[in-house]
Amino acid sequence: MSDTTLSVEAMDDATRSGLKRLILTLADSKRLMGLRYSDWLVGAPSIEAGIAVSSMAQDEWGHARLLYAMLKDLNVDPQEVEHTRPAEEYASVDVLDAPFADWAAVVAGMVLVDGAITVALDAFCRGIFDPACSRIPKMLSEEEFHRSLGVAWYKRLAGSGSEEAKDLLRRATEATLPVLLRWLSTPDEVGSKLAAMGLTDSGETQVTAFQDGIRALVATAGVDVDAVEVATDPWDERRGRGPGHPEEEAVERARGDRNRMLFVE
Amino acid sequence: MAATATLPVTRRVDAGLPAHLATHKSGGRDRWSAPLADLPDDPTAAVREALNEVLDPEIPISLMELGLVYAVAWENGVARVELTYTATACPCMEFIREDVTDRLEREPWIDRVEMVDVWSPPWTTDRITAEGRAKLRHLGVSA
Repeated sequence: MSDTTLSVEAMDDATRSGLKRLILTLADSKRLMGLRYSDWLVGAPSIEAGIAVSSMAQDEWGHARLLYAMLKDLNVDPQEVEHTRPAEEYASVDVLDAPFADWAAVVAGMVLVDGAITVALDAFCRGIFDPACSRIPKMLSEEEFHRSLGVAWYKRLAGSGSEEAKDLLRRATEATLPVLLRWLSTPDEVGSKLAAMGLTDSGETQVTAFQDGIRALVATAGVDVDAVEVATDPWDERRGRGPGHPEEEAVERARGDRNRMLFVE
Repeated sequence: MAATATLPVTRRVDAGLPAHLATHKSGGRDRWSAPLADLPDDPTAAVREALNEVLDPEIPISLMELGLVYAVAWENGVARVELTYTATACPCMEFIREDVTDRLEREPWIDRVEMVDVWSPPWTTDRITAEGRAKLRHLGVSA
């Protein structure tokens, strides 16, 4: 955590706008991550694994709630952001646009997708935005359990002796990494400005931290993280991600559209 | 005619839990003390004492014993409580807030309760008090 902090009042418009994008990127990613975990409450390889992803889904939604609440500091109504935006506005990381295809993809998601989001959170936590410095450490402590479970399952699948399991894991890893490396690198002016202001780490620093954290593990599935080519499809600077968006049905579930009229405070 | 046996009367409310620890009322409402009639000499300490009666919804030890209360203050009838939770997605947040407010607003010298959620430092089991740990051990819970 930084010794100095930057108040919202002291930020220029571009910084405020960039900060809003960063918070939305993280919050939407957490929300979708929780949704994708929740798909596996039933259908995981064991009851214990299903219960574990149930707890992780709960954590992710708690993190999303705390992150959306940070928007209040930027005079943005979190309720409106959470419950009215269409799927096209979601800023979640691209690899969460579709459900995980199989359990190997879930395991790769625990280590790689959840892991990349954690790297981005950690960088934001060590920056100079006080609400991030105070709220994110609790999220990071909860994420330690996600990584622990993910690593255990990754090693189990990679070392199971089943070529099918290892192949599914390798394919899920190879499909995910190019997008995550590009997402963490934040290749635009917003990313550079936020890093220059000390609100987060540079994209290069985040990518290095991510690669260092997974290099040995993904090698067990036959993947060389240093040889992975970064995604090159167009970059949507407004949302801080690639083109596309989660399917509308997923966002309807995330927003709670079906039962919104029953929401009572 | 056969003699009628007198059956023992069993309290059913707390059945299944140790009587000296148990409560099935939200926040331990059935064990809350009567409110103080007058403004105490040390209102902040009195707020702390009152909070020590508010139980966690899932484990029958108090929020103070769990280490969830980070700061307490009282000024001109307003009690301010800084509170954290065991998890970011704690499903009992609303219950806890309601129990805290209801317990404190029983006191005639508290006009309003101001609750502030805090996340720093993050709660861990290290924050459970010695008394809380002893009660948890009694319940068969390690912490």
